[in-house]
Amino acid sequence: MPLVETDAIVLHVFDYSETSRILRLATRDAGLQSVLARGARRSKSRFGSALDLFAEGAAQLQLKDGRDLQTLASFDVTRSRSELGEDMGRFVGASALAELVLRFSGADDVSVALFEALADAMDNLAAAQHAVAMEATLSGAWRLVAEMGFAPSIDSCASCHALIDAAGDLPFSHTAGGVLCERCARLYPGGRRLPLDARRAIADWSQGRRLADCDERAAKAHQRLLREFLQEHLADGRPLRAFDAWEQGALVAR
Amino acid sequence: MSAIDELATELSRLPGIGRKTALRLTYHLLRQPPEQSRRLADALGGLSDRVHRCSVCANLTEGDPCDICGDARRDKAVVCVVEEASDIGAIERAGEFRGVYHVLGGRLSPLDGVGPEDLNVDRLVERVAPGTVREVIIATNPSLEGEATALYVQRQLATHVPMISRIARGIPVGGDLEYADGVTIAQALSARREM
Repeated sequence: MPLVETDAIVLHVFDYSETSRILRLATRDAGLQSVLARGARRSKSRFGSALDLFAEGAAQLQLKDGRDLQTLASFDVTRSRSELGEDMGRFVGASALAELVLRFSGADDVSVALFEALADAMDNLAAAQHAVAMEATLSGAWRLVAEMGFAPSIDSCASCHALIDAAGDLPFSHTAGGVLCERCARLYPGGRRLPLDARRAIADWSQGRRLADCDERAAKAHQRLLREFLQEHLADGRPLRAFDAWEQGALVAR
Repeated sequence: MSAIDELATELSRLPGIGRKTALRLTYHLLRQPPEQSRRLADALGGLSDRVHRCSVCANLTEGDPCDICGDARRDKAVVCVVEEASDIGAIERAGEFRGVYHVLGGRLSPLDGVGPEDLNVDRLVERVAPGTVREVIIATNPSLEGEATALYVQRQLATHVPMISRIARGIPVGGDLEYADGVTIAQALSARREM
């Protein structure tokens, strides 16, 4: 049974039997993995207390072909990211980011770039003040979408690929996959119009840059846009439970 | 479906029991005297009829209120909030706590679709609102979801209770500092107390 050593981020945790846990890991070198961490719930577990949701570390996995559930041999935590549990905005935002990777990256499709984008997004969110947690989540989400290969076209028409250099609002079509020139917009009815600063924000976020300023109203509009984009390009009909909780904001508000 | 398959299917729905274990248990029961299987069936049948949630704290109980809420010697002004009824047993075994409990029925988990509306928090707010509770101890698990749940509960109770505390985290009794992980040691240092 080959032993694989790789960096990994914990995306989901389930209790299993009396003392064990099942973890869903995004790994740098072995894609998405479901692993059994035997005895992880014991107070003197060999995995330590920090093997928890959103933690990152060096994992040793015992992988066997044909198995859905692999075995976690060890996990040395390098970043516990406990700050994500100390603020509701950060907690629900990190859950939405984890859900994006769990649902929309295939088992073998976690590239090194996607893994690093996820690690950066979690770090940014862990360090974010409450007021900017939503912007940090939007930034992380658009970068993950971009690393999965679905970045929206912002500088050129998504249909005819002509460069667009406009200061005003532009039509944006989820179906086409980005902004449209006025000529092509007639072919894609029912889209939105995006102002320049919204287009710049998506372009910056998709490349891992953060915004210095994003007020709550703009952030809410971006949440809606991101949801529509995910539904068009990635959704499989199942509800996005963490994304719903993040978008509804009930946990953050109360 | 045969009787053997039917029982094995039902047993395999239980946590931690796979198909093979379910079949092993089924064959084990078949090797026992029929009275033993009947006693097991009676015990299972009586479980849902006799056990229900305490109307005060949501602990699992056969009476209402539960033995703890109904005990006049317990301090009703100190409420310990736990995730599950099974956590009450763990705290009671320690023999140190003389207050009463409140069971949330889970912890916040956006990934699993568990939100505030799924937890027994509104009842807790109603319980402390009259002002008779002087301390609430939040004893959710020391996991990230447990911490977020504790934070949420604290926010809901902040205007109703003079003191809200969180159970301590750190080096376990009997543990060895040399073998503790960095996160545990950091928690123990930040939660240190004056001697």
